[in-house]
Amino acid sequence: MNIRVAGPRSWSGPRNGAPWVWGFAAAALVWLVILVISGQGGGQTVSLALSLAPYLVIVGLGQMLVVTAGPGNIDVSVSSIISLAGFVSVAAASATGSAAVGILAGIGVGVLVAAVSTVAILGLSVPPIIATLAAGLVASSITLSTANGFTAVPDAGLRAALNLRPAGVPVLALAIAVLTVLVAALLRRTVYGRSLVAVGQNRRAAERAGVPVARVTATTYLLSGALAGLTGALLAAYIAPSADLGTRYLLDSVAVVVIGGTLISGGRAVPVGVWGAALFFILLDGLVNLVGWSTAAQNLLKGGLVLFVLFLAGGGDRSGGLASLFRRRPRPAAATTTTTITGDDTDG
Amino acid sequence: MAQLLAPALPGRARMRRSAPAAVSAVALIVMIGVCSSLQPGVLTVEGLTLVLSATVPLVIAAQAQMTLMAVGDIDLGIGNFVGLVTVVSATLLVSSPLTGVLVLAGLVAAYAVLGFLIHLRQVPALIATLGASFVWLGLGLFLLPTPGGTTPEWLASFGAWQPAGFPAPLLPIVVVALLVYLLSARSALGVRMRGLGSNPVVLRRAGLRPVTSRVVAYAAAGVLGVLSGLVLASQTGGGDVSSASSYTLMTVAAVILGGGSFAGGTAVPWGAAVGGVTLGLVSVVLSLLDVRSDMQSAVQGVIVLAVLAGRVVVGKVLR
Repeated sequence: MNIRVAGPRSWSGPRNGAPWVWGFAAAALVWLVILVISGQGGGQTVSLALSLAPYLVIVGLGQMLVVTAGPGNIDVSVSSIISLAGFVSVAAASATGSAAVGILAGIGVGVLVAAVSTVAILGLSVPPIIATLAAGLVASSITLSTANGFTAVPDAGLRAALNLRPAGVPVLALAIAVLTVLVAALLRRTVYGRSLVAVGQNRRAAERAGVPVARVTATTYLLSGALAGLTGALLAAYIAPSADLGTRYLLDSVAVVVIGGTLISGGRAVPVGVWGAALFFILLDGLVNLVGWSTAAQNLLKGGLVLFVLFLAGGGDRSGGLASLFRRRPRPAAATTTTTITGDDTDG
Repeated sequence: MAQLLAPALPGRARMRRSAPAAVSAVALIVMIGVCSSLQPGVLTVEGLTLVLSATVPLVIAAQAQMTLMAVGDIDLGIGNFVGLVTVVSATLLVSSPLTGVLVLAGLVAAYAVLGFLIHLRQVPALIATLGASFVWLGLGLFLLPTPGGTTPEWLASFGAWQPAGFPAPLLPIVVVALLVYLLSARSALGVRMRGLGSNPVVLRRAGLRPVTSRVVAYAAAGVLGVLSGLVLASQTGGGDVSSASSYTLMTVAAVILGGGSFAGGTAVPWGAAVGGVTLGLVSVVLSLLDVRSDMQSAVQGVIVLAVLAGRVVVGKVLR
């Protein structure tokens, strides 16, 4: 077994400035284009984007925590959790007549599915992508069997609350903004958050320093599951429960995390950046709809932009600025700090 | 003691390396056993043809994923790419074969360019292939917004080909695995590819250019993705860009089942074939067991976990 110990991450330090700006900058650019094309007041566009973006932000925050846990950590069960949680929460809400119970049920489903992945990751040392894939497959099977003959309708009160926009500002956006601040505080001010960042920067060093790596990893995946479950519960009330409710959220959640400035190799989380990237994605959808392009063009544009920004930013030798948006592979010059420990093979 | 250990070590190391694939092979044999006990016809040539044919596209796509995982990358766009190829074969390849072939060649070139840019710009393959997957999806929807189209005659006749004596699907599975084996395990290029996956610094110090390895790996993955899409189109008789979207993660699971790793540096063409067939057979076993198709993905998930749990146990025994 080869265990790679990453080199010093000095370049991910403060000199990189504010990596979250770029998502907002891109969102603002798209908003300007929409403004020019439609010729109408831009306030309504922003208001609409703010009512759609929170769903992507919630699931994105969970994905961000997982990605921050270090290389190889990714949660690919979020889409299945969203679909399943949608059905379960609507069923629970209509059975008890309480929207709060429905939301809690959705969160509970997310935690349950994530618990399966966590047991596989920690107990069986299964790579996270496979463990969450397997748990997600089980969840989507349950979703399909639930979807047959499902008749319950989403809670009207919750739907009205999600559509509430006093002075054009969606209540949900405010609530999720508070949630984002809480996640940021969790990362900065709590032992768990500091441990998570430490584990993401260097798992071995964190282990040696006495950080309970297993407990931190478990908490992270459970949190991601809970947030995905919350997304599902809210989304099902906002739209309607369906088996492919969460399909688009898998790729989108990973994309917004990375565009938002979180390091894909872990060790640096940027909660605010998720908002910028989510607004960028939602506004981009709006722009394509406005111009009347098909979903084909929408996907081409989205993929093209992700690739363009990615390759433009790149790794290379420049530091700071756009280049800091994305994690680089160890560069040839810096790669000498990459140690490969092969000790495991010789003691067999 | 040292003399006794010295010759024993390579054997033990080799055993540990091939153990994961062996566990998957056991799972595969168990599944074929279950199939044949439920339906004795499965073990005849016709039965095996029927059972295996559905797994061929997944197995070939798994070889593409394996090639990239050997250099330490991962391809999150392969599912949509295979879907795009089925669309090209259902539209352009029928209406104007020359354009169709050129487009397919262009897609392979696009993969090579993607690999080149990933290397040149030093960006994570995970995100680059994720971005590319949107592009493949968009192109597919652009060519064929709704599933449909037809299949070129030669491709359809390949899909319907029934040789006497051996099950036809076995041929593409074995031939592709053999070719990938020759490329990745037996050729100088293969050594460079695996070298890039296990230690790029050493590869550089040896005076070899890592960029060549990566571009070759991506081009090979592109060729295999095109092959997989053509086989899928020959079976479904049309094109649908989202027909293979589950392949993205299934191929990763197949490679892991076959003993591959995310760290790169290992090439497991035979393991990937075994893993792919195992995952593909799940639907067959379930339909024989009369289980509702809803449960198919759950059983796939449980099997992946069970095989990996088995590997942990075997790994502990061998240690």
